[in-house]
Amino acid sequence: MTVILEARDLVKRYPVGDGEVEALSGVSLAVERGEFLAIMGASGSGKSTLLHLLGGLDRPSTGEVVIDGVDISTLNDEQATLTRRDKTGFVFQFFNLIPLLSVRENVALPFLIGGGSAGEHAERVNQLLDMVGLTGKADNAPDQLSAGEQQRVALARALATEPALLLADEPTGNLDYTTGGEILDLLWHSCVQLGQTIVLVTHEARAAAYADRVLVVRDGAILDEIALGRRPDHDPGQLLARLATLGL
Amino acid sequence: MRFSAIAWRSLTARPARTLLTGFGVALGVALVAGTLLAADAATRAVSLAAEELYGQADLRVRAFEADGFSAESVAQINALPGVAIAAPLAERRLTLSTQPGPDEAVFTLAAIGVDPAAEAALERPTLASGSPLSADRPNDALVGAGWAAGYGLGIGDELLLDGAKLDMPPLTIVGLLADTGVGAENGGAVILLAGETLNAAFFLPSPVTAVDLAVEEGRMDEVQSGLDRSLTEPFTVETVADAEAAFGRAQAGFSGIAFLLGLVALSAAAFLVANTLTMTLTERTREIGLLRAAGATAGQIRGLVLRQGLALGVVGSLLGLPLGVGVGAVLVTAVASQRAALVTDLRVDPLSLLFAFGLGLAVTVVAGAVPAFEAARVSPLEALHPSGRPSGRLWSRLRWIVVLELAVVAAGFLLYPLDRGAPPVAATLLAVGLLVGGAVATGFVLDPLGRLVGAPFERLFGATGLLGRANLGRDRARTGMSVAALTIALAAVVTLATTAASARGTADRWVSSILPGGHAIRLTVPSSMDALQQTISETPGTKSATPVPQFNVVATVAGEGSEAAVAGIDPSIWQDEGTLIIDADRAGAFEALRGGGAVLVPESFANRTGVATGDLVHLAIPSGPEGDFTVAGVVAYSVPGRNGEGSLLVSLSDARTIFGAELATTWAMVPQPEVGDDAYVQLVADKATQLAGEALTAEQLADQLARSLDRLLGLFDALALLAVVIGGFGIVNTLTLGVAERTREIAVLRAHGMTVGQVEGMVVTEAAIMGTVGGIVAAAAGVAVTGLLVTLAPRDFAAGLVVPWPMVLAVILLGLAVASIAGLYPARLAGNRPVLASLKHFE
Repeated sequence: MTVILEARDLVKRYPVGDGEVEALSGVSLAVERGEFLAIMGASGSGKSTLLHLLGGLDRPSTGEVVIDGVDISTLNDEQATLTRRDKTGFVFQFFNLIPLLSVRENVALPFLIGGGSAGEHAERVNQLLDMVGLTGKADNAPDQLSAGEQQRVALARALATEPALLLADEPTGNLDYTTGGEILDLLWHSCVQLGQTIVLVTHEARAAAYADRVLVVRDGAILDEIALGRRPDHDPGQLLARLATLGL
Repeated sequence: MRFSAIAWRSLTARPARTLLTGFGVALGVALVAGTLLAADAATRAVSLAAEELYGQADLRVRAFEADGFSAESVAQINALPGVAIAAPLAERRLTLSTQPGPDEAVFTLAAIGVDPAAEAALERPTLASGSPLSADRPNDALVGAGWAAGYGLGIGDELLLDGAKLDMPPLTIVGLLADTGVGAENGGAVILLAGETLNAAFFLPSPVTAVDLAVEEGRMDEVQSGLDRSLTEPFTVETVADAEAAFGRAQAGFSGIAFLLGLVALSAAAFLVANTLTMTLTERTREIGLLRAAGATAGQIRGLVLRQGLALGVVGSLLGLPLGVGVGAVLVTAVASQRAALVTDLRVDPLSLLFAFGLGLAVTVVAGAVPAFEAARVSPLEALHPSGRPSGRLWSRLRWIVVLELAVVAAGFLLYPLDRGAPPVAATLLAVGLLVGGAVATGFVLDPLGRLVGAPFERLFGATGLLGRANLGRDRARTGMSVAALTIALAAVVTLATTAASARGTADRWVSSILPGGHAIRLTVPSSMDALQQTISETPGTKSATPVPQFNVVATVAGEGSEAAVAGIDPSIWQDEGTLIIDADRAGAFEALRGGGAVLVPESFANRTGVATGDLVHLAIPSGPEGDFTVAGVVAYSVPGRNGEGSLLVSLSDARTIFGAELATTWAMVPQPEVGDDAYVQLVADKATQLAGEALTAEQLADQLARSLDRLLGLFDALALLAVVIGGFGIVNTLTLGVAERTREIAVLRAHGMTVGQVEGMVVTEAAIMGTVGGIVAAAAGVAVTGLLVTLAPRDFAAGLVVPWPMVLAVILLGLAVASIAGLYPARLAGNRPVLASLKHFE
């Protein structure tokens, strides 16, 4: 299997007052094409910082991030942005949609940013809307959707350009249990059916249990790596047991 | 749909804010366009006035001396080969009255006696209504239309000549002179009648001060050389171009100041645009983060915001053009009705509109560039997780606004057609710089001043006042920019008021310096000093009465000669009773005058010729007496001369003995100390009536000057107040956004028992404090600007800076009022949000 994402000795430091705090200290990982990786950790563990570095939203203090053969850690802002446009899709916990755009236009946003129009990619957009079950609400405004529906639109948008990598930062954090489960099912479906590579950041074992592999992060370093394998039942039991041995 | 459509959707998502901002731009452009169109009307009026004054005449041959041409000279001029038409003009001052009765009114007008046939041949004067003069009807008269309207007079009304021969029938108004041309002379207070009638009415003939000539084709040189050869009396020759230059000088400042106010309004609009787009940026920060995370480059984000600025600029500027035509029409009508300056009908000048459109567009795009570049600089991570606190130091957020605004104002001014008579560029740019700088400084003083101003609100309104004041510090740059738009407009109002007060103070000082004793009699024609000395000196209550003979000379300094006016003064009376401002040892200067062979020169003459105390000036009446005079001092103000420069002052003795002056029109009257001022005014008036002259007081002269200044500045105040409205829009926008940002916070207050009225009061209090702070900063900036103008033009403001404190206080209160009114709408929004839904609001 091809390695689609690789991080080598990532360090991220932030200035705090007169000194610095090290949010990540020498993290290395590799993700294969089509793999579903979860990064777990408590609040402040550095998991979101790691995700931002992997997605090119931030630059490491030291270390490298290579996505689909491109080292993004040395790119300037313009280059990083274009790489992000081509190779990544994001789903965030909050405020995912552009309120000024309709559902259809939000899904087509990556195409719009690339200079195209919603009409030119109508077939792909409709396909995505169908995949997330929102064909009937294509022309609705975001504020006319429930939180779960909004997150489904965000997922469809993230998949629009068939990116090399889909990064999801606590996508179920703002949703109820059932709706969250629907989103996780969609993520898993896109990975299994469409071969999408996914990196999911979460603090919930239930969500991490969807992944093929889980990296546990604590205090800016990888504490453990737990291989779960591809399991349609997503039972978190094995994961919870392992976390318990780690004292989490 | 394309990516760029997000820009338009962002504007339409907040229609009220977009409309307010667009309208603010429109108002700013309207003021620039309107003032340009009014300036165009004023410029064309100057040309038109000169053309109408001359009619078909090519030359004006003017007598050098105040007592005019002799009959022989007039005949010589008439007989010159090449002269097609010769129209003599006899001038004097007339006192006229309406029919005796309870409504009797008395006027003093500048009378011009003409040959009706010659005037008809020269196709003048231009009438607003009625009929021209006719040789068949010797008692017909024409008066200025504007002047007549002011006194309720019209065609058919009769005027009685005061001081005329007893058998003189009344004059009948048969026509009204248009407000340009001869109708603009003496501020419109002018009467035209047949020269023969004017001469017949009085025992002393009216001097023929000029003869207008229409010259046959191709014979101009012949006529000019004929004049030089034939006339023995000194004369000058003027053309239409000379008249145009004189009219233009009289209203040079009007166009420039009007345009300056237009720029101030546009600057206020620029702050409004910058603030609106910055607020939009603040609201859309997370969206920008999403766009950046999805791959939108910094350039694409910058382009979105710039497009919004451009859209606001294009729509606002386009809307401003028809509004500007309206403003121009109102301005021209107001200026014409108040006779504040010469104007003709409004012409929709495409170049002026294009300039206003371009300037409006440039200003708004530049204003939008700052938030555009800010938006592009925000990292996607920062945008996705904003701290809620404004980023960056205050100065770093404001400095580009300052630089860009000053650059645009400078560019606008440098591109302004200076031939329309702009005020000095450097002084004006400095003044605008101070205004803009003062406005921007609001952001820095908001905290300390806000605490000071907010203290009484806290005391009066408790928690409402406390929270209202505290909210000011939420985003000082944003609040500062909102208040800046209001501040710059208020500062313009303060500048106008302080300039007017300083100018009035200077006018008072000027008048008192040239009128020792504070009273004078002005005769209708130059009269024998010897013959009238005893009569005038015997005016009851008079300590001394001294004539002030005036005549024209050629003044030569370092070989360069130029026409100058000379007045003869009694050095002792002027030293003891007057307040002449002399740039030299005062006692020594008057001693030198008494000794003879000395002259005091006005500052304008000294600046023009480079002469200084101790230098020699050669004064000569052409083909007449002459002499060398030592400059004993430079005076700030002097007796007005014909050329508007101020007269050179020699001793009365020198005027008589060296130049042979025998006649005088003006007599300075000094009262005895024990005579009350009101009583003396009446005594002088009685004597003046006896002599068919008019009595003048220093107060009257100063008042006349002040009134004409007030008329002009009143118009400018109206323009500045429109700019204040733009500032008010900015407050509405800022507070509306602030309320939206505080949705949950306001809901918490309501949940804890704050009433709707208290919430509304909190927002209005915040607005009121903003307006008051803006007013205080405006007061300081406005006074500073006037201080700068006083320093740069000390001659025009010899009394120094005079601050009208009641007016300054009124402006501060105006700021408070405008901002409070602007706060009513956002206050209503804040008070009416549903509590429960607001508590769930995610900001």
